[in-house]
Amino acid sequence: MLQDTCVCTLRLRALALISASFLLAALAPAPASAQTIDDATMLPGRTLFSGYLYTHDSWDQYWEGTLKRVNGNLGTVSTQTSTIYVDYGVTDRINVIAKIPYVWTNSSQGVLAGQEGWQDLTLAAKIRIGGVKIPRAGKLNWYGAGVWTNPMRNYTPDFLPLSIGLDSMTRGVRSTLNLSTEAGLFFTGSGQYTWRENVTLDRDYYYTNNQFFLTSDVPMPRVVDYELSAGFAKKRRMARFDFNKLITQGGIDSGDIRRQDAPFPANRFIAARIGGTVMYPAPFVRGVDFRFEYSHVIDGRNVGQSNTFTVGIFKTLHFKKTP
Amino acid sequence: MNIQSNRIAGYLCGAVALAGILLGPVRATAATDANAGTWRMIVLTGPDQIYVPPPAPVNDAGYQSELAAVKSAQASMTKAQRQAVDYWNQGGVFAWNQILHGLVASADLPPEPNADNTYSAPSAANPFAFPQFPFANPPYAARSYSYVAVATYEALKVAWHYKYLYNRPTPFNAGGGVQAISPQSDLPGYPSEDGVVSAVSQTLLSTLFPTQVAIINQKAAEQQQAAIQAGRATASDIAAGVELGKAVAAIFLTRAANDGLKAAGGTQAQWDALAAAAVARGETPWRSMETPPRPPMLPLYGQVKGWMMTPDDFLKERPGPPPSTSSSQMAKELADVKYAASHITRAQAATSYKWADGASSPTPPGHWNVIADTYLQSTDWSEVRMARALALLNMSQQDAAIGCWDTKFAYFNPRPAQLDRSLKTQIALPNFPAYESGHSTFSAAAAVVLTYLFPQGAAYFNAQRDEAALSRFYSGIHYKSDIDVGVTHGIAIGGYTVRFAQSDGADFSK
Repeated sequence: MLQDTCVCTLRLRALALISASFLLAALAPAPASAQTIDDATMLPGRTLFSGYLYTHDSWDQYWEGTLKRVNGNLGTVSTQTSTIYVDYGVTDRINVIAKIPYVWTNSSQGVLAGQEGWQDLTLAAKIRIGGVKIPRAGKLNWYGAGVWTNPMRNYTPDFLPLSIGLDSMTRGVRSTLNLSTEAGLFFTGSGQYTWRENVTLDRDYYYTNNQFFLTSDVPMPRVVDYELSAGFAKKRRMARFDFNKLITQGGIDSGDIRRQDAPFPANRFIAARIGGTVMYPAPFVRGVDFRFEYSHVIDGRNVGQSNTFTVGIFKTLHFKKTP
Repeated sequence: MNIQSNRIAGYLCGAVALAGILLGPVRATAATDANAGTWRMIVLTGPDQIYVPPPAPVNDAGYQSELAAVKSAQASMTKAQRQAVDYWNQGGVFAWNQILHGLVASADLPPEPNADNTYSAPSAANPFAFPQFPFANPPYAARSYSYVAVATYEALKVAWHYKYLYNRPTPFNAGGGVQAISPQSDLPGYPSEDGVVSAVSQTLLSTLFPTQVAIINQKAAEQQQAAIQAGRATASDIAAGVELGKAVAAIFLTRAANDGLKAAGGTQAQWDALAAAAVARGETPWRSMETPPRPPMLPLYGQVKGWMMTPDDFLKERPGPPPSTSSSQMAKELADVKYAASHITRAQAATSYKWADGASSPTPPGHWNVIADTYLQSTDWSEVRMARALALLNMSQQDAAIGCWDTKFAYFNPRPAQLDRSLKTQIALPNFPAYESGHSTFSAAAAVVLTYLFPQGAAYFNAQRDEAALSRFYSGIHYKSDIDVGVTHGIAIGGYTVRFAQSDGADFSK
């Protein structure tokens, strides 16, 4: 019974991780860390959970500010991401997580060269803060996380939408609430506030927000994201639907892409997505899980209307306590 | 007591240092260039072409009440007004150049395609409608910078003529207790250089960048108010300067209306004729790589009126043809640029982005103005000498734009990505022919003129020139020969401006 719960929990976790992994690979393939630490489960102490994710994100329409359009010089913009993911249960209440993505970008039309490379390392610590039993409803748990990301090499954020990322160091705090019923239904709400360090361009000036700046230093507005999800998990299978919204902070009309201009790293990226995930255990192999996800941007500003597919495979290892 | 006073002294030092940081460097204008009224004119026939009436004498009651108004404006100065005074103390010529970078960048966006895959041209008659007027592409930017700079320079030479003809002191030198919140100078006050510079800039920029007129008007009014509160102009100094500035600007607006820009966009028949001529020479003609295909950028810009070069000069300096599109040399150059772009290093990519100067930028001529600004800021030059420097630089940039565009459309040579569709570029591909490189031509002309102005910076200017030129090769948008020829051509074009400068009566080295 305990074993069963644990496996199920792991599967839930894997599901949530993948569903969230690359939600924001929109117009700008932004560091996706904000979304990865948002599930409602903990690894037991001395457990290693690691895996590989492949994500394919593409769009052929985007919002230039609020104007939705196509661009014949881009056609379809695709971003592929290959991610190594490691999560370790330090104790039953404290987990640490690391993630390393390699990103390729490409446009189907036009002359612009796609970019590729290691993007941003994510490190996070997640804590179960507490939980209460709610009669006839289930159990309500509260989780908190600190998330740090840093570019693994010096790539340019100044070639959007084909840059591999925004090249900004970020720090975020996340809070997650989860209600799970005995029958297997669960509801999760999660939100994160992210601070982003300034980025340095290779050029000495830029124009944004109706202003010319004689510097290469670009302040990056803060980001809020939240996610609401509901799912069902039973007998080592799981399905989940979610709604996610990313909101780059800033004034109402500031930070938009201008007509026929390229995106700028500090633009006000806003994206609302719906998505679903299914997960099931690998046949014949113990401790291995597969995961599939699809999500779609339903509304946005300064982002592409992405369709995103993710596949992942995960392995769980338990370490025995030393005597 | 000692400790106390040391602490107070420390606070004072800190406050002074902080004020220095907040207010920025105040350029000390030591030299007044009293003979600038005799310096050689470029467009005007001489300072007498504009009449400035004599001012009221210092002991005139009206002037005395103007001085009182200056004192009262100084006494009631708000914090924002004090900041404006400090801002304009760096010199109106310099400040307007900085403002112009922003205006150019704000307007440096190509029209978007229409639903039927055509492109509308921006309309000066309806500037706010999309696509907004202007599209401040590199030739348009070169022309804008040059008109403002040359008109300002001419108007200031006129102003200097009358300043020393009438010799009415600035308020802070007129006695009566007006403070000098301004670099100290013996320069006479009437007509005011701030009035001149603000009016020239306001008049020309409102026509060149009509959608930005609100900002332009606000800056002009701010400069005039700041000059009064700084104690270097009275209302009548400003008014005379503004009249002078407007009169000179009107002459330049007339020139601009007839300099050939209006026809430079060309017609479908003219675009077709350029392609047909290339085919007739046995060459592959340039075509737009954009989707939908975009008309070439200002194909007849080579016929726009230059500053230091006549149409014959442009023809004489035009380089010979590029390697034939069917030649083995072109095949080799194509292979070279493809290899460079597909093996670009991070450092080379950084250079490419640094010099991309594409959409929403001040363009290459603006980039060289930014470089010049750093050097100008470190001088103690008078306003008229500052204006001369920017006029020289920007005449060379406009002549480079004309010479380069003349060459581009004389040969109509395809870009590397057109001849090899598998070649991908590391920056956006400019929508006009390859030969010769605009960055190379602009940068070489700029480096020649800046080296004349600031000989101590020669090595830096040439290094920046080479970096700018080569960046276009790394990024996959130019063959090597585009770059080599462009640099040589730009050096020749810059030489015309330098030869003028060496004999204009302002040359330091004489």
